[in-house]
Amino acid sequence: MSLFESYATDGFYDEMFEPSGLPRPHYRKLYQRLVSMSKEDFRRRCQLADLTLVNQGITFAVYGNDAGVEKPFPFDLIPRIIPSAEWDLIERGLKQRLTALNLFLHDVYHDQKILNDRVIPRDLVVDAVNYRREFIGANPPHGIYVHICGSDLIRNADGQLLVLEDNLRTPSGVSYVLENRIILTRVLPQLFRDLAVRPVEHYSTQLLRNLMDLAPEHCNGEPNVVLLTPGVYNSAYFEHSFLAQQLGIQLVEGRDLFVDENFVYMKTTSGPQRVDVIYRRVDDDFLDPLVFRADSALGVPGLINVYRAGNVSLANSIGTGVADDKVIYAYVPRIIEYYLGEKPILSNVETYLAWQPKDLSYILDNLDKLVVKAANESGGYGMLIGPQATAAERADFANRIKSNPRNYIAQPLISLSRSPALVEDRFEGRHIDLRPYVLYGKDDITIVPGGLTRVALRKGSYVVNSSQGGGSKDTWVLAGETPEALGGEMRQTQRSHTETAPQDAENLPDNGGAH
Amino acid sequence: MLCRDADSCYWIGRYVERAEATARMVDVHYHAALESPLPPGQGSIGEEEFQPIRWQSLLAISGNADNYYERYTSETDHDVLNFFSFDLDNPNSILSTWKSARDNARSIREQIASEMWEALNISYINLKSLDAERVLAGSPHEFFQTVKNASHLFQGILNRTMLMGEARDWLDTGRFLERSCQTARILDVKYHDLLPIEADSDPLSERVGASVYGVGGAVDTHGWIAVLKSVSALEMYRKTHRDGIYPANVVDFLVLCQEFPASVSHGISRVEGCLKRIRSKAGIQAKNEPERLIGRLLADLTYSRPGEIISDGLHEFLEDVQARCAIVGSAIWETYLGY
Repeated sequence: MSLFESYATDGFYDEMFEPSGLPRPHYRKLYQRLVSMSKEDFRRRCQLADLTLVNQGITFAVYGNDAGVEKPFPFDLIPRIIPSAEWDLIERGLKQRLTALNLFLHDVYHDQKILNDRVIPRDLVVDAVNYRREFIGANPPHGIYVHICGSDLIRNADGQLLVLEDNLRTPSGVSYVLENRIILTRVLPQLFRDLAVRPVEHYSTQLLRNLMDLAPEHCNGEPNVVLLTPGVYNSAYFEHSFLAQQLGIQLVEGRDLFVDENFVYMKTTSGPQRVDVIYRRVDDDFLDPLVFRADSALGVPGLINVYRAGNVSLANSIGTGVADDKVIYAYVPRIIEYYLGEKPILSNVETYLAWQPKDLSYILDNLDKLVVKAANESGGYGMLIGPQATAAERADFANRIKSNPRNYIAQPLISLSRSPALVEDRFEGRHIDLRPYVLYGKDDITIVPGGLTRVALRKGSYVVNSSQGGGSKDTWVLAGETPEALGGEMRQTQRSHTETAPQDAENLPDNGGAH
Repeated sequence: MLCRDADSCYWIGRYVERAEATARMVDVHYHAALESPLPPGQGSIGEEEFQPIRWQSLLAISGNADNYYERYTSETDHDVLNFFSFDLDNPNSILSTWKSARDNARSIREQIASEMWEALNISYINLKSLDAERVLAGSPHEFFQTVKNASHLFQGILNRTMLMGEARDWLDTGRFLERSCQTARILDVKYHDLLPIEADSDPLSERVGASVYGVGGAVDTHGWIAVLKSVSALEMYRKTHRDGIYPANVVDFLVLCQEFPASVSHGISRVEGCLKRIRSKAGIQAKNEPERLIGRLLADLTYSRPGEIISDGLHEFLEDVQARCAIVGSAIWETYLGY
């Protein structure tokens, strides 16, 4: 019995299967491998992978009820494949987007041309929660604000890739990209054999090089680069520790650092040691109690002053959150056109802005059809999925929106594409997204092929966040496809999968295709 | 090295060693009681008629009595075993100390070999899945052996993978300081049990003098064997002292013998070596406070005689060693680790 027995695409865009039920060309070889595996064999490999995750403590911390409890981030073994032509498009689109967002950030903290030209209403920017007036006029090294960006891409029912949101502050998840690949090559090496899967491991090297390039001028010799974490109780702590290890840099907490005579030092057993570059995974708000939240115990008093003086570099820079505000998001296509004079390569999801009276009434009238998001929440919090919400939840959100329209946006519910995922002892379609990691260096922008594919493991769920029952997949970008590499023509007699419900599948003829 | 990382290494070393010592201490106490030749008229050891194990002295000497009686009313095997093994409200229980070692390792994963972290993590997951009922229903010895093995696995990986650098010196400082302290404590616990205690006397105030156990007089060999076993010393002891088991020789072996790796003196001299390397790496020329204290303690251990120690009061001597270890710990914090 194949693991694909009774697999149905249920009318969704399926990454692996065409509507006819045949595997898409770039998935054929993988499909052939998977279909030849027994359930027991696959199950055993899953257990091996799970055990590796638990033993290595590859976990994230859950906030809320069980604060501090560590959970493994579920890893679904079926890889997600992106053909090289499509990856080219994604790569170009993300480079274009990040270039423009960076110019936007420089502009709003300097001349504010885009505001003066009324392309974006001034209030939306200067009143944004994450706009840092304290940082106006400051000049980050090489003019780069966002060194590491993680933009979330989704595929709609027509197969079109759209940008759902940008993460320009401290995007997380890249450790799972690296770990998933390591684990999959160990437990299912056979899957890699037939396909030229582009490697991802050079991410760490590239990131380290970019961070070293940020060294302040006073630095002669090798700069001291550190990774600043909020500490072991942070949900992404595993990642911080993993990256520090991969990059070979010191992992520090705020209490390990201090400022003296406008330089940053870390406390070592041999006395203070100067710090030159900080890859910080602490939000702006908590970074420096003298400038931002005074109650923060995670930060370093005086750090921002040292940064402004150019005596230490930060990645990402301060105030980048204004550009991933979900309201500003709606203006990104205009931002791209304004600074680059180009049409956006990757489209946004259609977005209604509650601060606009016309949109507000549309949102309130159509709450049962829309997804509503707070402008500055992440991790799947502060969000209403109208079609799946109760009347009471919708009424609650209607009140929240009315009392603070600037803080809310709404989007139609995008029917995210699905990919097969292991559910108990067989494959079922589950919704997925994609977060590539974009590195903005001194000389160029680089993107490790692929990124993190997150999968909503709960049946029917559209929420892929790890805090909400999401898992992840290894993401493969193929080096190039020839018909040979794709497994040649499929024999028409091959078992195929259809959009029919599972119970009907048994009665299908071998060449399938029934609707 | 970052002060906080050095501090974590130091505490990983201490906690792992402490978990092992607790396992050893409870194990030997439990099994010595099972085997001890009972005074006539007090029943025999059988499944139906079970002589209760006297846990009070263990609780008192291990410094946990207050904590214990806050939450438990009597000393049943179950409660005591639970208290020493799984009780997370007892900061010195095996699970608590192992968890602390693991949490410290988690905060410095990038500093230590990933195998070291995994060894701590896997053992933690395993320990967490057990409880006192299951251990008592099965073989308590097997459980304590699991803990000892987990500690040995960790230390073996440490020896095999860690660079001979500062992080290793901090791990070793913690391990050996704790080990010296714990060996002193185990000897103290068992030595008390071997005293003829009046029913209502306070075991802590009992003075041990040469008149009670004359140097060289063979008394209660069974109890002394238990002490040696508890630090895996019996076989090694026999190799160095062929004339039998005498209190003075046991004290010599467990406290003063440089060659035995769990002896107080061996641990202290290892700490001295670590502190010396750490200091020269930090570029400090003159010996500082931690080294001064540890050197003086080592000199006392090196130039003491077992007979003297016993006649002047072994309990007082062992207490003094433990107190001085604690002072060394504070001096290390003041000098290097404070952050």
